Parts: sequence; structure tokens; C-alpha cells
Amino acid sequence: MPRLVTYRQRRSNGRWLRLYVPVLPVLLVLSPLLLLAVLVACVIYRVSPVGALRGAGQLLWASSGARFEITQGRTAVLVHVI
Amino acid sequence: MNEHRRQILEMLAEGKVTAEEAERLIDALDRQHPEPVPGTKPRPKFLRVLVVADDGTSGDGSSRINIRVPLQLLRAGVRLTALVPPPALAKANTELARAGWPIDLTQLKPQHLDDLIEHLDDLTVDVDDPGSTVKVFCE
Repeated sequence: MPRLVTYRQRRSNGRWLRLYVPVLPVLLVLSPLLLLAVLVACVIYRVSPVGALRGAGQLLWASSGARFEITQGRTAVLVHVI
Repeated sequence: MNEHRRQILEMLAEGKVTAEEAERLIDALDRQHPEPVPGTKPRPKFLRVLVVADDGTSGDGSSRINIRVPLQLLRAGVRLTALVPPPALAKANTELARAGWPIDLTQLKPQHLDDLIEHLDDLTVDVDDPGSTVKVFCE
């Protein structure tokens, strides 16, 4: 399971914005809201809530090691899932 | 040489860690990820997309995209397609047919997509253009 998501953004003035998001605490804090959102979406789109939660869990579990880096000129966005 | 090992050596070269600390880190890395047995091809874990384009118009230099997606994430995403309800697939089929793409998405089973990802290991796309380079491969 991923532990940390790092988001770094270099603005056009050359300064870096760095955000470190610990996955588990954020997930725990947001879990009631996320659960409700998933259940509502499942009812609206007639999808199995168990399957959706399992799928979302698998996605989260498998996202460890993902890296997205986009640089254009002086601006850059780097997202790492650790 | 894997990426973690290179990072440790870079830290050593920059003087951020001592030789002893670097050795300990490399030992810990070896314990965590043992070296593969010679002769056996390690299974790729990531799909890598690298794009470098010279953006001559803006004068800001080049654009660079470096994406590394775990193959496991692609597999998990493919399994999610099993959740798409049949009416949604029928609607998508209709829209695709209207746009000139007569593809029947209901025939696309998750196991077919799983097989596709399984064989991504051998995929290498290499595009060399005077202004840009695109590389897609598994590592």
C-alpha cells in the first residue's frame, strides 16, 4: 500500500511548491465521506458497492511506485506515489 | 544498476552520506530486493512513457514527460471494467458507432485486457522525430 504521495510544482518564477500527503491518515480521515460518495455513486449507476470498493482498494494498493513528471520550460509538476 | 542504488551512489558522491552509511543502505536494499539470478529475465513491473519535445515556438526550452505506471495498477484498472453496467456499454457502443468506430465493447472481457497487459512486457515503442522523442517500454 502506498504510504506517501509527494506533489512538487515548480512555478514560472522558479519557486517550488512541495506537498507531502500521508496516504493512510488522509484515507482514515476522509473514509466516512469517501464511503458515502462510493455508495451513492453505486446506487445511482447501479454498480455493486462491494465490487466498487474492492476495485478501488486494488487500485490504491497497486498505485505504489507510480510517478508522473511533466516539465515544460520553467514550470514542472512532479507526482510520486511512494 | 537500479534506481535506488544509483540514488545512494549519487548521495555518496555529493557527500550527503558517508561511505559506511552508503554501504549499509545498499546492504539494506539488497536484503529488500535481492539481485535476480543471472540468466533469468526479471518480470517488468512498470510501464514507462518518456516524451521529450523541443518547443521552439515559446522559447522556454523543451517539454518533458516522464510517466511510470505500475503494471499492477493497469491490471487493477482493467478489473474495474467488469463493474461497468451493460446499459452503459450499450450507450458507449452507440456513440462509438456514431463517431465511425464500430467497436462492440461488450465483447471486450476483462480477461482479454488482462492478457493484453500480460504481454505488454515485450512492448517497446520508440519514435524519433527531429523535434521530439517518444519512448514507451516496460522496465
